[in-house]
Amino acid sequence: MGTIVELHQDPKVSEVKETTDLALFVRTSNEDLVTWNRQRIVDALVRETLVDFDTAEAISKEVEEFIFSTKISMVTAPLIRELVDSKLIERGLEKARIMHTRLGVPLYDVDQMIVHPNKENANVPHGPEATNLTLAEGIKKEYALLSVFSSQVGDAHMRGDFHLHDLGFIDRPYCSGQSLEYIKRFGLNLPNALSMAKPAKHPEVLLAHMVKFAAALQSHFAGAIGWDAVNLFFAPYLEGLSDREIKQLAQMMIFEFSQQAVARGGQAIFTDINLYWEVPRHFEKVPAIGPGGKYTGKTYLDYLPLAQKFVWLLFDVFKEGDGAGRPFFFPKPLVHITEKFFQTPNHQEFLNHICEVAALKGNTYFVFDRGQTAKISECCRLSFKLEAQDLLDAHEPWRMRYCALQNVTINFPRLAYQAEGNDTTLFAKLAESVELAVEAHLQKNAFILKLLSLGERGPLSLLTMDRDGSPYLRLQRATYLIGMVGLNELVQYHTGEELHESQKAIKFGLKVIAYMKLLTDRFSQKYGMRFVLEQTPAESTAYRFAKLDLQKYPEQAGKVIKGDKAQGEVYYTNSTLFNISAQMNPVDRVRYEGLFHPLIEAGALTHIWIGESRPDKESLANFIIKTFKLTKNDQIAFSPEFTTCRACGQTSRGLMEKCPYCGSAEVDGITRITGYFTKISSWNKGKIGELRDRYRNTPYFSMREAVSPGVEEPT
Amino acid sequence: MTLFTKADCQKCHYIKDHFNLPSLGIQEEILGEDNAEALAHLAWHELIETAQKELPILILDDNTAVVGAIPIKKYLSHQNGN
Repeated sequence: MGTIVELHQDPKVSEVKETTDLALFVRTSNEDLVTWNRQRIVDALVRETLVDFDTAEAISKEVEEFIFSTKISMVTAPLIRELVDSKLIERGLEKARIMHTRLGVPLYDVDQMIVHPNKENANVPHGPEATNLTLAEGIKKEYALLSVFSSQVGDAHMRGDFHLHDLGFIDRPYCSGQSLEYIKRFGLNLPNALSMAKPAKHPEVLLAHMVKFAAALQSHFAGAIGWDAVNLFFAPYLEGLSDREIKQLAQMMIFEFSQQAVARGGQAIFTDINLYWEVPRHFEKVPAIGPGGKYTGKTYLDYLPLAQKFVWLLFDVFKEGDGAGRPFFFPKPLVHITEKFFQTPNHQEFLNHICEVAALKGNTYFVFDRGQTAKISECCRLSFKLEAQDLLDAHEPWRMRYCALQNVTINFPRLAYQAEGNDTTLFAKLAESVELAVEAHLQKNAFILKLLSLGERGPLSLLTMDRDGSPYLRLQRATYLIGMVGLNELVQYHTGEELHESQKAIKFGLKVIAYMKLLTDRFSQKYGMRFVLEQTPAESTAYRFAKLDLQKYPEQAGKVIKGDKAQGEVYYTNSTLFNISAQMNPVDRVRYEGLFHPLIEAGALTHIWIGESRPDKESLANFIIKTFKLTKNDQIAFSPEFTTCRACGQTSRGLMEKCPYCGSAEVDGITRITGYFTKISSWNKGKIGELRDRYRNTPYFSMREAVSPGVEEPT
Repeated sequence: MTLFTKADCQKCHYIKDHFNLPSLGIQEEILGEDNAEALAHLAWHELIETAQKELPILILDDNTAVVGAIPIKKYLSHQNGN
């Protein structure tokens, strides 16, 4: 890998008859020129494949002869490998060819990547680091499909029957949720680090540890990094600080996480902070860890006032927005609404506060934990529900570390096309897809186990570090996600009605998801692993499936696909969501979409698009209370829209083609793409199509004159 | 009316043993690993979490739910005029 073979035809030897006399030079990765040696081909074939020596010898001679006969001036290593591969194919040695194949990227593609942005993930800004990330991802994707997964699984992904997420990050788990208590207790003591830091003694040092650890975790997980009860676990460090100092810390936290665009691939760390107005029951009697990693002699219940002050001030900062008044993209604040929330003094004032932020900036995520449910939420909607053992672990909260190992999303509409209206076929196809998705999980799990077995000398040393008697990555507590895209289009094609059009359609959709849940339960029992359903965010998958189906099932897909086909801005409706353009009352949308949520254990969300509306905080708070008390909805986010001007730097409410301040057309839109805010210029075509279709609930939410801090009204 | 039960639920059997469900116009739906229809029906009535804690559940014609063997027994006895 990485070598170039140059063929210099020395005039003195141009008449030679023996190919071995050719003046071929190999430019090695050690920056050295070595002479051509046919034996290298033989060695590679014997080392990398199961081909016998005589066959390898014969192939190497044929390739050498061919190179000589062409009289070309430069031969590259990839070309030699391809020539060898063609000889393997001629001999019917298909398996050997795959084992010997070279992973790489065409010159043209690299040129395109360097010049043009990659829109697969809107959270990756364009730049040299992003190019590195894209190139590395490209090669690891190929590696995963050839070497980690079976051809059956790989082909299903390539065909678009399902989507294996984050193939470019095949050598790491999907995402993680953890507790600040880990670094509070053990400091920043990472394998391969140049220095070890003892537990922080000051709040700003704890924050620095948190940010650095998050960056380290980002290098070991493909997706989101979530933190549990952040305001509560910071509280012991806030004793004696003035409100101004606590606000400063809140500001530092939000800016640190929102400006981490110097991390992996120039990509901000997808950070979620879970926040509580109350002290969750499972933390009430837990001894609090304070400065220096020492117990303070108090329990976390004693820190309620400081935890409340911190979370209030965090939302003050979210309300102000960044230096230009724009919403912060990260960290995402997830506020847990529980029974205890409503029993905690001043909850209504706090609810109004976070609803004001939701109306003005959209940041707030409302996570509903009803009954005895407790969870850590992250990513676009993923959540780890805490089980009985987890609640016991809560007494030593640093043990509360969770991960999802992989996410596989099934192309639902395609199942309907294949079933041609037959229920039995539809459910049989779904069962086949889920079974193959489980197979994909088993294969990735085996690969990760192999890497983890290399311990602290292996590539996942951070995840094997043992500071509390068990590895950082607690694989026994991992979940394996199976998602879905396009339930709405499946139901539409199969029954003739979309989910929002009739109760019959909703009931059929529920039956599909219920069947899928029962299947995953059975596979969980069979393998002793947690296979759970998730509403996949599907930022690019909804577009990819739609494009593939328009090619493979044009007649069927043409009837249900959403977006603008002429412009190529096509998409399927995400997961179990209802048609994004349906003019539904948001109360009905929250309720009916919420019917699916209890079946989707690993997380579900309803989006309320509010466009340029600015609902008042009291009406939003009322909406949240009703949602908690009267529905089964798992999570809600309100999404306003903004226009930011590159010319004058002003931010305006709503999406506009020109800046209302200076008239410049150098503007970019900002709103939520799936579960996070980004600039619209970075969106893929499918999401652009969806954006055009979004029903913005304007008639429902009153237009108030409240002005967003940092977003002045143009005069 | 619909009665949600499970095969290994003693309280469910108690109700089934005490009442002739078909004669009361009650359809039984047995929750189990191969009954997606019943699970979907339960989800429609927003009772999945309730069913994880307690069974049986009786859904009345007005879509309200009576949860637990004793309340269901009382309700059905009252309906029977007992």
